Amino acid sequence: MTASSQPLLDCLIVDDEPGIAWVMEHLLLTGGYTAVSVPTGMAALAALRQQRFRLAFLDAKLPDIDGLQLAQQLRELEPAMPIILVSGYYYPDDPAILRALESDTISHFIAKPFTNGDILAVLAGLA
Amino acid sequence: MSGQASQSHGAQESGSRGGDQEQYKQLYDMLLNAIPSSVLLIDSKLRVTSVNRNFLTRSQRSLSDTIGCTLAEVFPSVILERTDIKRRILEVFKSNKPSSGQRMAYRAPGMPFRTYYYRIFPIVSGTREEQVMLLMEDVTEQVRLSEEMRRMECHLASVVESASDLVLSLDTEGRILTWNTAAEKLSGFAFSRVKGQFFFEFCHSAAHSDIKNLFHRMRRSARPLTAEWELMPEKGSEIPVAWVFSPMKDDDALTVGIVAVGRDLTEQRKLEAEQRRSQKLAALGVMAGGIAHEIRNPLAVCSSAAQFLMEDGLAAEFRTECAEKIQASLQKASSIIENLLRFSRPSDKQKMAPVALATVLSETITLAANQAKVHKIKIICQLPERCPPVSGVFSLLQQVFMNLLLNAINAMPEGGELHITLEQQGGEARISIKDTGTGIAEDALDKIFDPFHTTSPVGQGVGLGLSLCYSIVKQHLGSISVDSQPGQGTTFTVSLPLL
Repeated sequence: MTASSQPLLDCLIVDDEPGIAWVMEHLLLTGGYTAVSVPTGMAALAALRQQRFRLAFLDAKLPDIDGLQLAQQLRELEPAMPIILVSGYYYPDDPAILRALESDTISHFIAKPFTNGDILAVLAGLA
Repeated sequence: MSGQASQSHGAQESGSRGGDQEQYKQLYDMLLNAIPSSVLLIDSKLRVTSVNRNFLTRSQRSLSDTIGCTLAEVFPSVILERTDIKRRILEVFKSNKPSSGQRMAYRAPGMPFRTYYYRIFPIVSGTREEQVMLLMEDVTEQVRLSEEMRRMECHLASVVESASDLVLSLDTEGRILTWNTAAEKLSGFAFSRVKGQFFFEFCHSAAHSDIKNLFHRMRRSARPLTAEWELMPEKGSEIPVAWVFSPMKDDDALTVGIVAVGRDLTEQRKLEAEQRRSQKLAALGVMAGGIAHEIRNPLAVCSSAAQFLMEDGLAAEFRTECAEKIQASLQKASSIIENLLRFSRPSDKQKMAPVALATVLSETITLAANQAKVHKIKIICQLPERCPPVSGVFSLLQQVFMNLLLNAINAMPEGGELHITLEQQGGEARISIKDTGTGIAEDALDKIFDPFHTTSPVGQGVGLGLSLCYSIVKQHLGSISVDSQPGQGTTFTVSLPLL
């Protein structure tokens, strides 16, 4: 069974913080989207091999890999999938973020704490 | 007669006794000339009646222009005036008793100055006209040596007095024999006040038994011993002083006294406190990233949960869930800040107190864990439930462990494992902090505890960290060591004496 044969899910959430996963899941599911959350980079790559997603929300600091590094690896698997970095480690005009946006490693950056509207706006924009 | 310096003019009149007389005269001349001092016989009219070769050589005179001459003709007038020698000779004629010894500086034409020690002895002879003997001994060299010695003593005394360090001499029991100006100034006690008192009486009472022990060891020690003891001045609060005690040995290698040199550490302590403060700020800067990440996560949860609560028609169960998430997240953010506050509290002017190392370590690890997390580092920690306390300053020890943890995290940019163990070994607590990082090159290992040594690029390094760790651990009477394999990792071990 290949990833392409699976139905398309809306969101992959990658965050090791259970509170954030709880927020994101609730936000997306009640917004009418489908979502799966995983706590590590390894789990994210595994999920992506089994399942296609419309977009991915990544934390910048994961237990096994840096969010920006993971973004590059996901990009190789799914070049067209928008990747949104959601992090409290960087600030919006952080040089590392500007570089990642410029090189298209990530599509958007949302700083924590965020408003629920920020997340939903990204999804609406991509719809 | 020209070869014979000694000439008694009295001998010229006595030809009648024949060979015997001649023989005695020769013996007399021989003896007189053999004397390594100048000898002159002088009559009551202050004329020279006999003189030996030593005098003629030194004064560069010949026999003929000396015998029969008056003192004024033989000695330069300046000497006669200064030494009052005429009056002394007349005194001896009158009293018939030898004069006391006097000094005289005499300079023959074209010769360097010589110093003589002279005495005048009466020569009692029933038949002859009365004479006195002037005996002059050259003491130039002795005078020079003793003056040199005095100069040397003065010089040494002025070295001790001019020193800005305290320089004391003590007997083997620790009683004060000398106490220099610097000691008077720093303590406010004049030498007369401390002379003969025990050294320990002027130190902080906490050190008294240590001082007695040190002096006891000093009696057998051939090497200097060092200590840091506070001096109790006449006025004001105690002054930290670094002492070096050196044994004074006699020719038989027996300790006959102790030299104590002390340096006021007040300025150094201030500088150290400043360094610790600025290093702490640097450490806080290093931690900022990890802390920001860790605090903004619970803030994000709170923010979103609050927004959920603002929506209409929520199930009561979900409302409760939101409130609980907010509560738990705030608690988490607050505890991160609390740990930060504990770490950043000032560390100077804190007294030693019993400290539980497991508590210091767990608080420090909690704080450093934020940083470890963003660097994908796993912390493996083994803290025993019971470990006797050490005597220390909580915040200073925390600074040591924080520096070691941050350095370890810094050494693992690609992630890794950080092992922290605390164990009791004999009378010591041993804390080891082991990383699986880049390691330290062998040639850098020696310099690692030097101030300002760093391998981190400018702006990233905590270059002062390890030298401060060293000084703090030393202040706690402990030791710190490092073992490293480049590419394998580094282990820092701190040993602290248990209470």
